[in-house]
Amino acid sequence: METTASLTQPQTRTESRPSRLWRITAIARNAFREAVRDRVLYNLVLFVLLLTAASIFIGELSGGQERKVIVDLGLSAMLLFGVFIAIFVGVGLVYKEIERRTIYAVFSKPVGRGEFLVGKYLGLCLTLLVNVLVMAVGVSLALLYVNRGWDPLIPTIWPAVLLIYIELMLLTAVALLFSSFSSPALSALLTFFVFIIGHFSADLKSLASSMGSTSARWLFNALYYLLPNLANYSFITPAAHGRSPGVGFVFASALYALVYIVVILAAATLVFGRRNFK
Amino acid sequence: MKMSERMKSMTLGLVVVLGLACAALLVGWTDTLRPPPDPNAIDESLYVNGKTARRISLGFNGLAADWYWMRSLQYVGKKILNQPGDVALDDLSKLNLKLLAPLLDTATTLDPEFLDPYEYAAIVLPAVDVQEAIRITQKGIAANPNAWRLYQHLGYIYWQQGDYKASSEIYGRGAQIPGAPTWMVAMKAKMIAEGGSRNTAREIYTRMFEESADDQVKDMARKHVLLLDSLDQRDVLRKVMQIFRDKTGRCPTSWTELREAFRVLSIPVDVNGSPVDPTGMPYVLNSGTCEVELNPKSEIPIK
Repeated sequence: METTASLTQPQTRTESRPSRLWRITAIARNAFREAVRDRVLYNLVLFVLLLTAASIFIGELSGGQERKVIVDLGLSAMLLFGVFIAIFVGVGLVYKEIERRTIYAVFSKPVGRGEFLVGKYLGLCLTLLVNVLVMAVGVSLALLYVNRGWDPLIPTIWPAVLLIYIELMLLTAVALLFSSFSSPALSALLTFFVFIIGHFSADLKSLASSMGSTSARWLFNALYYLLPNLANYSFITPAAHGRSPGVGFVFASALYALVYIVVILAAATLVFGRRNFK
Repeated sequence: MKMSERMKSMTLGLVVVLGLACAALLVGWTDTLRPPPDPNAIDESLYVNGKTARRISLGFNGLAADWYWMRSLQYVGKKILNQPGDVALDDLSKLNLKLLAPLLDTATTLDPEFLDPYEYAAIVLPAVDVQEAIRITQKGIAANPNAWRLYQHLGYIYWQQGDYKASSEIYGRGAQIPGAPTWMVAMKAKMIAEGGSRNTAREIYTRMFEESADDQVKDMARKHVLLLDSLDQRDVLRKVMQIFRDKTGRCPTSWTELREAFRVLSIPVDVNGSPVDPTGMPYVLNSGTCEVELNPKSEIPIK
């Protein structure tokens, strides 16, 4: 079992204090290794089996729509598996270190609590990146197989894949925030709620406009603007029709996610910093 | 100790394998005991409508649309399999397809850009519920105003209903869309001039065969073209028989009596001298009624 402490230890022996970036990178690298050792990437086997079966059998069931079904199925599975990883691995990132008491060893070294959280966060993001990239290559290969050659849908799925990855990054940050102050079960539940509400954001807006009372309108408007708007990252269905989001849209969505992630990680650091481990 | 551990592992492995085999056998047994479903039973309505399904799909609406689309195909396919004899795709009125419209409606609400369910609605639904077929196709046009094929489908529905004016108008609107084929303009004029003619029907089904990506729709269109060709052939054969009757005062007893006329008119015949339909099957001569009939083995639908 490798812990964050074991990775940070060699650096403390050196005379010069390692930079903040180095410490975060070391924690991130370790979190990634831990996820790999926890067999998180085994879900890729299931994904490949799913896509292979879909490529072979779906043609008979979908009335000649196998390309669309493969994109829908592949990207939806990518999002679903990613959400499960982000939630269930994300909520355990901090909790496991506390339970194993390795967090004492980490914080006995010159590692800040914020650095620890950001490192853990980036480690899981790296795991998700590998996961998403392999899956996207899998979907592209399935399209090549079904179309018996180059498929014009292949380049259009990649912007959608990028948006899925950004959504997963956002959700990982949410999971980390909840796990910084509550139990894994409750954190998983709350993160899942955020995922659901995030996809209902359009309803929140229409609900706000249809409300009679001003206070209710304010409340729903506030929820709409404050909760993460995950519907921005749903581009699976248009991708299956060969439509890609514009560069401006992707940039704005990425910027929104970045701002949100910074806010969440700052909040998580704030909460985690006040936590007493004694 | 080692031996006993190995025995334990083998026993447990055997329990797993035999247990699974027993479970599979029990499933088969319970299947035989289960009463067969009543084919006339009323289909259970869908639990959620399209709008609700879209709301709760959490970004997986494309996949959910695929699911409803495949369910529509399975639903119709199952009903066709339960029906004895051949059933034409555009005449499924006997099959009690109560759920088809809600299934296609849900699929198209979940993914409004998914064009195949609209085509299916235009071809299959008119025999079941023509108003729903028109509503779903119009919904498709509203969501995809640049998809000229949807205008072709809607024009087809109106043509089937004998509303040539509405059909002409729809073909005309579709023809204005950038990228629409030029025959849409011709179809607009044809609908007004000779909406009910075989030529128009042939044109419609030929275009449907050329444009559709669905094998079932292609097959249906191909059979309709064959039927129209066969109707033309049978008209010629009836004329030949009438001339023979006028000359001899009786009906021909076999096709061989008309061999010379067939040769002059270049009517295709088989090795026995019988005229053949567009699929190559010989026509049947009914001497009693002095009528030419389709061979029961022919794949041309008898209409």
